[in-house]
Amino acid sequence: MLKRQVVLECIAALLILLFLYASVSKFLDFKRFIDEMNNQPLPNSWTHFLVWGIPFLEIAISAALLFEYTRLLAFYASIVLMTLFTIYAIVILAHFFPYIPCSCGGVIRKLTWPQHLVLNLFYVALSVLGLILQRSQNLKSIFITKNKHSFV
Amino acid sequence: MKKIKWTILTFVILFSIGAAFATRPQHYQTLYWNNGSQYLAAGVMGLNYVCESSASICTYSYSGGVYTPYMTGASYTPIALTTEKAKPKPTEKKGN
Repeated sequence: MLKRQVVLECIAALLILLFLYASVSKFLDFKRFIDEMNNQPLPNSWTHFLVWGIPFLEIAISAALLFEYTRLLAFYASIVLMTLFTIYAIVILAHFFPYIPCSCGGVIRKLTWPQHLVLNLFYVALSVLGLILQRSQNLKSIFITKNKHSFV
Repeated sequence: MKKIKWTILTFVILFSIGAAFATRPQHYQTLYWNNGSQYLAAGVMGLNYVCESSASICTYSYSGGVYTPYMTGASYTPIALTTEKAKPKPTEKKGN
C-alpha cells in the first residue's frame, strides 16, 4: 500500500515537473511560442486557440495532480494530451506534412523529433501506469470504506 | 506521509518554475537569416518563412555588431516555397 503510494507520488511529481516547466516556459517567452506555433504545418488560424489552450491545459493537469480526489482525472487528461503530442510527432516523422518544422518549440529545444517521440512515449507510459495505480488505490479505498460502514 | 508528499511536491513546483526561468531565452528581437553572403531581415515566422528541420541555422539575432544563432537545428525556408495550403499568404488590404 505504502509502496504503491510512493510510486504514485513519484509519477505525479514527474508529470508536474514536465507540464509546469513546459507551460511556464511558454508564458515566459510568449512571442517566441506564437512564432513556433505558426512555424508548425498547421493552419495559422489555430494558433490563437493552441497558444492559450495548451499551456492552460498543462497548468490545469499539474494542479489536478496535486490533489487526491482530482488525480484520476488528471491522469486521464495527461494520457490524452501526451498521446496527441505523440501522434503529432509520428505524423511529422512520417513526412505527412509538406515540410518538417524544426523541433525548436518543444519542452527541451535541443531535442530532435525522434527524441521528442521517445520522451512523449515515456510520459504516455508513465501516465498509464499512474492511472492504473490510482484506480486500484481508489477501488481499495472504496472497499475499505464500505467494509467500515458494514461493521457499524 | 502527507508531510513528505507536500514537501516533495512543493520542491517539484519550485524547481519547475525555477528551471523555466533559468532556461528562458533572450528577449525577443528582430531576427535575420543568412542567404550565404549577407544577413537579411527574416520577416514574420509562420507568415513569411518557416524553419525546416535540418542541421543548419534558421535565424540569427543581432546585437552589438554580432549576429548570434537564434533558431538552430533548422534552415530558413520562405513560405512560398513550402505550401500555399498549409501556410496561406497574408491577404492584401483592399482599397476603400
